[in-house]
Amino acid sequence: MAETKGNRPTYATDFITTDIEKVTFFGNVHIDNMMTTLLAMGNELWVQRKRQHILEALLAEKGVKPEAIEKYVATPAQEQAWAKERDVLVARLWSHHDKNTGEYNFASDWNGK
Amino acid sequence: MSQLFNRRSMMGMAGGALSAASVLSSSHAHAKLKNDFEPRGGDGIWERLPSLNLEAYDEMSTSTRKWVNGALARAAQQRANELMVKNGMKPDQQISFEDASKLLSNDPIIAMRASSWQRLQWHMWQELKREFYDNYDAYMSEMEATDKTGPGTLELNPGIEPEYTKHEIHMQPGGYTGDPFAGHLYLYGTANFYVGQNYQDQGHAALAAAVPVPADGKVRRILDAGCSCGQQVVALKRRFPDAEVWGVDIGAPMVRYAHMRAVDNGVDVNFRHALAEKTGFPDGYFDIVTSYILHHEVTEQATYEIIRETSRVLRPGGVYFPVDVYTMPSRRVLDGTPMRRIQDWITSRWNHERWWYDYQRSDFLGEMQRSGFALNMDGPEASAYAVNLSQARARQTSGRPQALGDMSGQGGQKNIMGTKI
Ligand SMILES: C[S@@+](CC[C@H](N)C(=O)[O-])C[C@H]1O[C@@H](n2cnc3c(N)ncnc32)[C@H](O)[C@@H]1O
Repeated sequence: MAETKGNRPTYATDFITTDIEKVTFFGNVHIDNMMTTLLAMGNELWVQRKRQHILEALLAEKGVKPEAIEKYVATPAQEQAWAKERDVLVARLWSHHDKNTGEYNFASDWNGK
Repeated sequence: MSQLFNRRSMMGMAGGALSAASVLSSSHAHAKLKNDFEPRGGDGIWERLPSLNLEAYDEMSTSTRKWVNGALARAAQQRANELMVKNGMKPDQQISFEDASKLLSNDPIIAMRASSWQRLQWHMWQELKREFYDNYDAYMSEMEATDKTGPGTLELNPGIEPEYTKHEIHMQPGGYTGDPFAGHLYLYGTANFYVGQNYQDQGHAALAAAVPVPADGKVRRILDAGCSCGQQVVALKRRFPDAEVWGVDIGAPMVRYAHMRAVDNGVDVNFRHALAEKTGFPDGYFDIVTSYILHHEVTEQATYEIIRETSRVLRPGGVYFPVDVYTMPSRRVLDGTPMRRIQDWITSRWNHERWWYDYQRSDFLGEMQRSGFALNMDGPEASAYAVNLSQARARQTSGRPQALGDMSGQGGQKNIMGTKI
């Protein structure tokens, strides 16, 4: 059954789950897992760059110079919040490594279709 | 540019210093919906993803996919050709799956292509799903608010879903029937699949433009079977504003989302949660029935039943225009070139296109004839990858070459059409 919160109608049925996350194409699941990590990392990198482009464009409109960004000193509360955020990022980048088993080779249940 | 200055993008603008006059001159003024959840507004028919982070994350997935489908896929094909030649075969020689697998599966570039495509697809779903579940109440309330409002109607029939429709096709979490946000997931997931070239439903508009009209020119009612988020339904209504346009889909969350999206855009169309093989419409009700990439996702038996049901609900002279990967014999890819064998298997097993081989084997045209259709193999051009069609159109009108989405098939190819005898 679908994940639900509360008892509002979801109109969702039960469903037949896949095991697609258990495949390896490289014959070594660590490599496939690493692929996810690197894809995620690339995405994250662009998220940051895009925000930064926007931010710096807006700041420049308001007269904030690049040096002010360069020399900024964070408060302890900021440091703490950012550390927490990094933990979430680490989980997103790496958590699949502790789940995916690679127990199937991609062709192992080919059944002569 | 004018399209960008609609209500939605204005609401998303920091500082919002634009005057009311420019709001009113918007080219795309929506009525504010009850419980409308769109923190960052939209652009035309496209509702932006609700956070800048997710939008950028998704953009990068899309860009990566372009590379995977393009340069990397070509490199993999090249490697396959080389390996064939190295082993004393012609590149397009037909070989068994087992031999193809032995020959190709240790190649790093071929593995890289398969792995990166599959992981990208999987990861994309997870990221989108996180967003909808993180804001569960807001998204649910938004749908609930439009379930019973118009324009247009929504009919839900819980419990009608046969087992074969409950697979997680394309790896979509919960599939079409099993997640309350299946429609949300599908719309943003396929925007990625269409490598960013369908944000304004351009592909669907091109398909709708291609749909043939009955010889007598009468178009009063149209049905789109397997309508997903209703993109084609809306496009058909825009082409035939006076017609009564319906979409049916077996995913209740799909039609709920489709209805909400249509209401949000002020388009008067109707959605029914129903099987394409059992639509519930009276005999001869429709002038036109369309379907777009539905058939490769149902069993062989269901395909036959859908064709028979389509024949039943079309009036004599009515037109059936099914567009899919193999509806034309020329699009069949049953050939056994090694890369094709591997790709078909990966698509079916690891992108979880559960009924891929069933569809390849089905006698689609034969069943159309047996069901009372006169076949025209020379129908309008269509494409099972809709954005190719829209790009081919754009090329024709601008005369300038444009990059294709690097996906299966060329722009447009003649598509089969059936006329109800
Ligand atoms: C690939 S999608 C179709 C895309 C859609 N036509 C579009 O324009 O974007 C397949 C859709 O068919 C629906 N479907 C699958 N089997 C069905 C059936 N037997 N009857 C009606 N809908 C079905 C699925 O729920 C899904 O939304």
